[in-house]
Amino acid sequence: MKKALVVIGALLVAGVVAMAGLIYSGVYDVSALEQHLAPTYHVLDVAMKRSVKARAKDIVVPPLEDAALIARGRARFEEHCAQCHGAPGIAPQAFALGFAPAAANLVATGELWPARDIYWVVRHGLKMSGMPAWEFRMPDEDLWATVAFVKRLPKLSAADYAAMKGDASPAAEGAHPVDPERGRLAIQQYSCVTCHTIPGIVGANAPVGPSLAHLGARKIIGGHLPNTPANLVAFLREPRKYKPDGAMPDLGVTERDARDMAAWLGLQR
Amino acid sequence: MRAWLILALAMSIPAPAADAQKDKARLLLRQFGCGSCHRIPEVADAVGDVGPSLEKFGARTYIAGILPNNNDNLVRFIRDPRSVDPRTAMPDLGVGEVHAREMAAYLRSLR
Repeated sequence: MKKALVVIGALLVAGVVAMAGLIYSGVYDVSALEQHLAPTYHVLDVAMKRSVKARAKDIVVPPLEDAALIARGRARFEEHCAQCHGAPGIAPQAFALGFAPAAANLVATGELWPARDIYWVVRHGLKMSGMPAWEFRMPDEDLWATVAFVKRLPKLSAADYAAMKGDASPAAEGAHPVDPERGRLAIQQYSCVTCHTIPGIVGANAPVGPSLAHLGARKIIGGHLPNTPANLVAFLREPRKYKPDGAMPDLGVTERDARDMAAWLGLQR
Repeated sequence: MRAWLILALAMSIPAPAADAQKDKARLLLRQFGCGSCHRIPEVADAVGDVGPSLEKFGARTYIAGILPNNNDNLVRFIRDPRSVDPRTAMPDLGVGEVHAREMAAYLRSLR
């Protein structure tokens, strides 16, 4: 019995070492020109689907049959989805054809996936797949409108799709309390990490702009503004207004997102 | 002959010369009070939180968020910060060209 345990332990260690060697040697092909090896593809596909199911199971789906809601979704779909996923009678744009994995045809998704799973994927995105998280790009009402439209999609011919009118008016943003933890997510979602080192955020170690470590203790931000929450929010929303020659671009940060980011950054001391 | 001379010179510059340059730069950074606004590694009392930290400054892409980080640009910013960003809170500290070059070399060596 004891001997068997030793053997199993040794095999496990050997397995980990072999796996580490495989990874470090660079032998695995990360090119998007070819799909993953079949076993890898299936493992990732099952892991993705199980992960979505596990996380979406308690989501309460609102009524999705309302024509006005579907019309909103039609507009969001054309603005944000069709470029990569295509639409009935419309191919994805050229850049999107090179994705690995290829962006799903949402006619099939609408047919096969339950609404709550589609909502979860639209809202959260999928790591390493090219599917972005839309939570910070549209209000919840529009996320559901998009899902409502995707569920309707399989019933539309190409002509129906082309003829269908969208409602592009923006959804009203409700009032929200300031939430530093949401701010931490927003920092990831506005790609702050590609220029700044930010301790506390995984992968944020770029040296393009200054480190945001201890930002809560800083006296001056943007080179000349006193570091108050209101100034930080203003700078996050319109950096080029305060530093016209600066390399930091305006990222279209909303008031709510800027307030949450400023709250999280203010806690870093 | 000239090659020999250069080689001999290169070999005769021991590590302590580089250390001496760094010591001099640290002294200058202290003397111009840089540490009262910036964190600077291995400079005594340079723990200011007014402006950004200068840790790993050699790896930074931009100076003051505006100029590409090279020697000449850093010397220019140290000597005349307002010529780069008219609104900057960083004052003109009357740094001479030679001193600015010595400090810039040190900051750009931080990684």
